[in-house]
Amino acid sequence: MKLPRLQTAFETNPNKDFIRSKYDKPWIEHWHHERGMLLKYLGLPAREMLDILEWQHFLGRFTTIEREENEQHLMFLKANVKDVEHRLYSLYGEFDKILLAGRDRYGNTPEWPYDLVNLDYFGGFIYPGLARPKALKKLIQNQGTYESSFLLIVTQHLRDGDSIGEKREFLEDLRRMLKNGIYDNALHPGIDEIIDWYLGANIPDAARQGLYLNCFLRDCGEAEQFDVKCRPAIVYSGTGRSWMIHFTTEFRFKPGIGHRASSVQSLVELINLGLREVGNGKFVEGRFVQPQL
Amino acid sequence: MDLSNAPPTSKPQGVESEELVYAAAVLILSEDLYPRKLEIIREYIQNGSDALDEFMSIADYIEDRSEPLIKISIQGRSLLIYDNGIGMGEEEIAKLKRIAYSEKKVGEEAGYKGIGRLAGIAVADKLKVSSTSYGDPRLYYFEFRAKDMREDISEKKKVGFQEPASKVINRHTEMGWTDIDPEAHYTLVELRDIRQSYDELLDPAQLKDYIGDIGPVDFAPEPEFSHGTLISQELAQNVPDYSPKNMYLSGPGFERQRIYKPYNDGMCVAKPYFIDIPNPQNPSELLAFCWYAAKGKQMLNKVRPVGRIFSVDGGPKDKHRLAGLAYKLFGFTIGDRTLPQRTLWTTTVQRAQWFTGEIHIIDKSITPTTDRSNFVENESRVRFYEAAPAISRKLNKLAQQISDDRKTHDDAEKIGKKFDSYKERLLTGRIETGELKTIREDINESLEILRRRSTKCKDGDIARYQKEISDLGRSVQEELKNPKLLKAAGSVADVADELKMPSKARKVFQIIMDTLAAHYKEDKEEYYRVVAKIYSALRKRY
Repeated sequence: MKLPRLQTAFETNPNKDFIRSKYDKPWIEHWHHERGMLLKYLGLPAREMLDILEWQHFLGRFTTIEREENEQHLMFLKANVKDVEHRLYSLYGEFDKILLAGRDRYGNTPEWPYDLVNLDYFGGFIYPGLARPKALKKLIQNQGTYESSFLLIVTQHLRDGDSIGEKREFLEDLRRMLKNGIYDNALHPGIDEIIDWYLGANIPDAARQGLYLNCFLRDCGEAEQFDVKCRPAIVYSGTGRSWMIHFTTEFRFKPGIGHRASSVQSLVELINLGLREVGNGKFVEGRFVQPQL
Repeated sequence: MDLSNAPPTSKPQGVESEELVYAAAVLILSEDLYPRKLEIIREYIQNGSDALDEFMSIADYIEDRSEPLIKISIQGRSLLIYDNGIGMGEEEIAKLKRIAYSEKKVGEEAGYKGIGRLAGIAVADKLKVSSTSYGDPRLYYFEFRAKDMREDISEKKKVGFQEPASKVINRHTEMGWTDIDPEAHYTLVELRDIRQSYDELLDPAQLKDYIGDIGPVDFAPEPEFSHGTLISQELAQNVPDYSPKNMYLSGPGFERQRIYKPYNDGMCVAKPYFIDIPNPQNPSELLAFCWYAAKGKQMLNKVRPVGRIFSVDGGPKDKHRLAGLAYKLFGFTIGDRTLPQRTLWTTTVQRAQWFTGEIHIIDKSITPTTDRSNFVENESRVRFYEAAPAISRKLNKLAQQISDDRKTHDDAEKIGKKFDSYKERLLTGRIETGELKTIREDINESLEILRRRSTKCKDGDIARYQKEISDLGRSVQEELKNPKLLKAAGSVADVADELKMPSKARKVFQIIMDTLAAHYKEDKEEYYRVVAKIYSALRKRY
């Protein structure tokens, strides 16, 4: 009897490996030392749990979310083989739905709060119904409820032209905000120039997405009393010729202020972070350079 | 039909393709076999244990130093059983679909009937198995969609359509493979979507108790259980296949714990002992090996058998869960603790419950029934049941001895306190002359009780203790012999003197005290309380 080969839903590649072990890991180690304890993890590690296994020395318990039954079974197998099954708490269902409903398909709830959240999404960020941004907002709200600082890592697929309307609206809002007395327009003639650059038809969506998501995270975080520090988004070629974009953001809760927080990292600094690129398992020179404010 | 003249043939003519087993049989076989659903996990532990044994036989050869283990964990509504044993190859995975098919050999492995592999379909909506064996670069995957199959069978039954078992099983099972490190070797069984009514399978505390009680696990090490090392050593020396497995359990709100047999020092287990059960036809061959221990109690700075039903902490239901012996085969419990009681004890059955312990079956031609509630009736079982009552005879005799020793100790302790009190009252002059007769009688009676106990006591420490108390009693008795001397020394008080009673009044007073003593003959303490009140009242009044 010939048995069929199982479909593989996840594969790593040198770029992903580089980001996980050479870029994110030092941040996580730093965060672990700063927090002074093993980090409680929430994420979408897929069955190989490469991130968890790579960072496991800095982690305590980890909550995983998996929407595919067989993938979850293979995740259980991996956890047993790697002897971490006792630290694993696995929720079953769509990440967005679990975050918004507060529980998975079996009624199990996440173990709030978390110190490290790693969302390696399949697909883009903005879907019809905006479930993904809503879920991310909910995540930040929940962390805020527990007044718990955390490190957020987000990876998503890049699709040129994806929700371009939404991003245009965002960029026009950003233009208005930058001009609206927050910064002296006369002193910063480059505002129109930079926003127009991001709106340009020839600019890859990665640039817009990098700025868009970092601003989104900053906005959500500050609303929940977090001091938000974004790092440059990183683009890289993922498995199967798909382009991925990767974000690492620190959320430090500011207790006792009772209103929206103001991040130490300014909006201008955030805009100037730009975009980095990884290729062949290392940082490479980016194919475009965005103007700076 | 008379077949006596039918021609010899290996196959009935014309019925080769007739299906003889129908789909519902699969449900009946799995569901009805396990009235207590926790027993389902035993099937998978048994398979894991066999896989570990098989792997350990080659581990040295391939220089694999990994810790052989079985891990049980709970995730959502899934129960997961993992072992890093020999694993399964493509052919074995494909055979998982076969009902009651087993290549295991009777007498060599714990499981052999080929039913238990699918036991999970009785409680879970899906059964998923992933496995790989050493040297095979593939990880194999098997899935049995039990809920779909149940619904399918039920729908078809409604319209009067019954399908052959094979067809239905094939429709609701799936297999596949993916690449894996060829040096990997393990199996993971997932009972997925366990139904609400079987929540005990998702309760770590219940699983821990159950597995510890029935599984092939070791005793907790010292200091948790100080007798564990000795019992393990004896079992390892006397039971050829004794091979406890390292088993771990984790679940939500339940930190990973290694599972041990359910004994600890908090249970006050007395010193364990051992019994060989030789084959009557060949005494050099052991049929079974038994360890047992009685419920203990701190007596004379040592835990000694107490002679009561073996009890542990817990409610009325759980308190006596370890009372009695348990049969063990390949490390797994067969039946419950009433089975040895029912099969080995004919008289004083309750004495079986004074002990806890295990009877490890060494003769592997003694096989368990499918539901593991007893042994299959065969010649080996008969031979064993003829030889094994040696256990009940020994334990009954021992129970009597424990009872005698404990009573000697308890009486000596009680009487000792009384003698101490007399001694102390003598030293402080608080014995009344009017009580002397009663006290002397009391000491005599107590010494007689101790003498009678001493003839039955075999515990050297308790016998010595009893003697010390008797000696104390005799010394007090000696001192009480001369009331005049006692009075002169101020060791006794005399209220009659103090009140300057005339001789008639003295006699009347003594008659009253003697009458009271006779009245309270059976309750000396009450007697002393009453007379103390009388003496006190007299002294106060006059």
